[in-house]
Amino acid sequence: MSIAQNLSNAMVLASTYILIAIGLTMVYGVLKVLHIAHAGVYASGAFIGLIAFNFAREFFTPLLEDARLASNLSFWFSLPIAMLVAGVMGVLIYLLVYRYTWGKSPTISLVASVGLFTLIQDLLQKPFLLGPRQQPYPAGGAGMPRIETPWFTLTPTQVLILVVTLVLLAIVYFILNRTRIGLGWQAAALDPEMAAAVGVNVTRVILLNFFIGSMLAGAAGVLVGVYDNMVFATMGDVPSYKAFVVVVLGGLGSVAGTIVAGIVLAIAETFMVAFAGSLMPRDAIAFLVLILLLMFRPRGLLGRA
Amino acid sequence: MKKLLTLAFLVVLTALIVSCATPTPTPVPPTKAPEPTKAPAQPTAAPQPTKAPEPTKAPAALDGAALLQERCSTCHNLDRVKSATKSKDQWTATVERMISKGAKLNDAEKSALIEYLAKTYGAAAAPAEPIKIGFFSPLTGPTAADGQSALNAAKLAVKFINDAGGVNGRKLELINYDDAGKPDQAASVARKLIESDKVVAAISGAYSGPTRAAAPVFQQAGVVMLSAYAIHPDITKTGDKIFRIGTLATIQGRVGAELVAKNLKAKKVAILTIDNDFGVSLTAGFKEQAAKLGLEIVFEQKYPFGEKDFRPIIEKMKPLNPDAVYATGYFAEAAQLVAQAKDAGLKAQIVGQEGYDSPQFIKLAGANAEGVIITTDLNRDSKEAMTQKFLTEYKKAYNEDADMVGASAFDAVQVLAYALKQGTTTDAIQKAILGLKNFKDCATGPFLYYDASRELVRPVSSQIVKNGKFTFYAEFTDPKLIAP
Repeated sequence: MSIAQNLSNAMVLASTYILIAIGLTMVYGVLKVLHIAHAGVYASGAFIGLIAFNFAREFFTPLLEDARLASNLSFWFSLPIAMLVAGVMGVLIYLLVYRYTWGKSPTISLVASVGLFTLIQDLLQKPFLLGPRQQPYPAGGAGMPRIETPWFTLTPTQVLILVVTLVLLAIVYFILNRTRIGLGWQAAALDPEMAAAVGVNVTRVILLNFFIGSMLAGAAGVLVGVYDNMVFATMGDVPSYKAFVVVVLGGLGSVAGTIVAGIVLAIAETFMVAFAGSLMPRDAIAFLVLILLLMFRPRGLLGRA
Repeated sequence: MKKLLTLAFLVVLTALIVSCATPTPTPVPPTKAPEPTKAPAQPTAAPQPTKAPEPTKAPAALDGAALLQERCSTCHNLDRVKSATKSKDQWTATVERMISKGAKLNDAEKSALIEYLAKTYGAAAAPAEPIKIGFFSPLTGPTAADGQSALNAAKLAVKFINDAGGVNGRKLELINYDDAGKPDQAASVARKLIESDKVVAAISGAYSGPTRAAAPVFQQAGVVMLSAYAIHPDITKTGDKIFRIGTLATIQGRVGAELVAKNLKAKKVAILTIDNDFGVSLTAGFKEQAAKLGLEIVFEQKYPFGEKDFRPIIEKMKPLNPDAVYATGYFAEAAQLVAQAKDAGLKAQIVGQEGYDSPQFIKLAGANAEGVIITTDLNRDSKEAMTQKFLTEYKKAYNEDADMVGASAFDAVQVLAYALKQGTTTDAIQKAILGLKNFKDCATGPFLYYDASRELVRPVSSQIVKNGKFTFYAEFTDPKLIAP
C-alpha cells in the first residue's frame, strides 16, 4: 500500500516539476541563459488563473445553478487563459530583456533575470494584485474521477494534474519533433549561428521557445495552485532554484532528460521523506541527489557529451 | 513603430520598478507634532525695546492676550511664543527673563500674562510631543500576511489609545519597519529604531527567529521590547528589558498534551514538528507534559517551513493508528496537512496551536478544517469587553477577521501604553509591566500577572473549528500548567 501510494504521489509531484522545468530547459537550450524569472512567470500564471477562475465562477454559478459544475467549467476556462498570458509574458521578457543581453556575458543575463524575478514577485505582493496573503484556488478535481485501486488512490486533483501534464507533454513533443519550427528549434539549440546560416528564422524560434516554455510554466502554476488550494506571491521561491536542479540533473537543454530528472527527483524526495524521516529537508535532498549524480554523470542523466 | 513600442514598454517597466523600489516599510506618517521646545527658550539677540509702552495704559481687566500682543511683539514675533509648550513655572522664568531684557511689565501685568500663557500654551493645553514606540514585523516575504495583521492591529490599538486622549495627554506614535521575516534585517531595524528614531520602547510583531535577533540589540541599548507573538523561550531569557505577550511555547506545548490526554482521552499520539524555533520549542513542552500524563508517542517527525507535501509523512504515520496528531506549524502548512490527511483517510484528531489561528487557515483548508482543535491566546467567544471591541473594530477597519497574531500585537500596544502611563523611562516601564495584575484592557486577556522571568501568566484558550469558524473548546487555568 504505502510504496505504491508514495509512488503515485511522487508521479504527481514529478508532473509539476517537469512542467516548470521544461521551459527552463528550452530557454537554456537555445539562449544558454539561466532564466530565473521563469519562476516569476510560474507564479504569475497561477495568479492569472486564479483571477480568471474567480471571474468565471461568478459568471457561471448563477447561470448554471450548479456550483460544482460552474467551478469545473471555470477551471477549464482559467487554465488556457493563464497559459496564454504566461506565454505572452515569456515573449515580453525575451523582447524586453534577454534580446539585449543575449550574446553578452552570461552573468549579465543571470543578474537581469534575478532582478526581473524579484520585480515580478514584489509586484505580485502588492495589494492591488495578489497581496501578501495566500488565496485559495478551489477548483478541486475539475470534474476528474477519483481512482481507487487496492494499491493506491489518486484524488481527482491528482488525476487532473497527471492528465493535463500528459496532454501538454504530448503537444510539446509533437511540436518539437514533427513540425518545421520544432526542427528549427533543435537546429538552433545545436548552433544558432549555423541554423541562421541555413535559413532558420532564429528570432521566430526563440520567440516560440519562450512562448511554449512560459505557457507550460503558467500551466504548472495553475495546477500547483489547485493542488495546494493556495496561490501566493512568493510561490515561485522554491521552484526558482529547484527547477534548475531538475534541468541540470536532466542534462542542460535536454527535454527528455528533464522529464526523467523530474521523476527521479520527485521519487527520491518522497521516499527520503517517507523513510529517512527528519534527516534533512526535502530541498536539501534535491541537491544531494544532484551532487551524487553529477559525480558519476557530469553531463546529467541524458546530457550530450 | 516597433522601436517606439519597445520604448513605451521600457518606460512602463521602469515605472513599475520604481513603484516597487519605494520601500514598503515606510514609518507610520507621524502627525506633525508641534516643535519640541527647549525650555527655557533662548531669545536670539532680542533687540532692546525702543518704544516702551506705558504700564498705566494697560487695559483695566489686564487681558493676557492683549498684553502678549502689545508688549512681547515689540521685540520679537509671537510665533516663538505660540509654538512653545511650558508649564507655569517655566513661563514665569521666561517672562522674568524678558523683563530683565527690558520688557515693560508691572507686577499685575506680569502675573496676568503668566496666567494667560500657562493657560493657553501650557503643558496640559497644547498637544505635547508624542511618545514614539517602535514596531517591526514581516511585510514582505513568505510571512508577510502575519506581519500585516500584526501591524494593522497595532495601529488599531494606537488609534484607540489616541482617540481616548493618549498616554497622560501625549499621543502615541507607532514607528514601524519591515523585517522581511529575516533575523539579520530585524537586528538592523532594531538599531534603526533605537538610534535614529529614538523610541522609548518597542514591540516585535515578528516571528521567533527575527525576534531573537532583535532582542539583544534592545537589551544592550536599555530599551524595553515586548514580543507580541514570538514564543521561543530564549527571547525573554535575553535580559530584563525583554517581555512577552504570547504564551511561552513550552507552556502552550504542555497545554496541548493536557488537551490530548484529558479532553480527547487519547492514548497514542503522533507529533509533527515544523523545523524552526517555534515548532521545536512547542514540541519540547508537549513531550514534557506527555511523559507526565503517560501519553504514548508513536511517531515523530520534523518538516521544513513552507512544506506543502505531507503525503509521504501521512503514509508513514497512518499504519501506526495514532488517536491524535499534534502538529506544530502555521496556517499555510496546516491547511495542506489537514487536506492531505483527509485525502489519505487518516482518522486521527489533528491538534494544532496558535500558528493555525488565522482566518486564512479556514479559507485555505475549507471543509477540511472542520473539527480541528487548536490551543491559542485568542478566545473569540470571550466575554471580556475589550476582546469583543477588538474583534468588531478590527473587522470594521480592515474588512477581514482578526487573528491571534493581530490580537497579540494589539495587546502588546495596550500593555505598553499602560506601562507608559506610569512613566516613560525604561525603569518605569519595566516596573509597571512587572507590576501588572489582572489586566483586562486587552484582546487576549485577562492577563493575570508577569512572573520574574518576564513571562505573562494567563489562562490558555483552546478553539475548535465548527461551521467554518473558530469557536470555544476549552480553557486551561490550572496554575501549575500555565505558569512557566
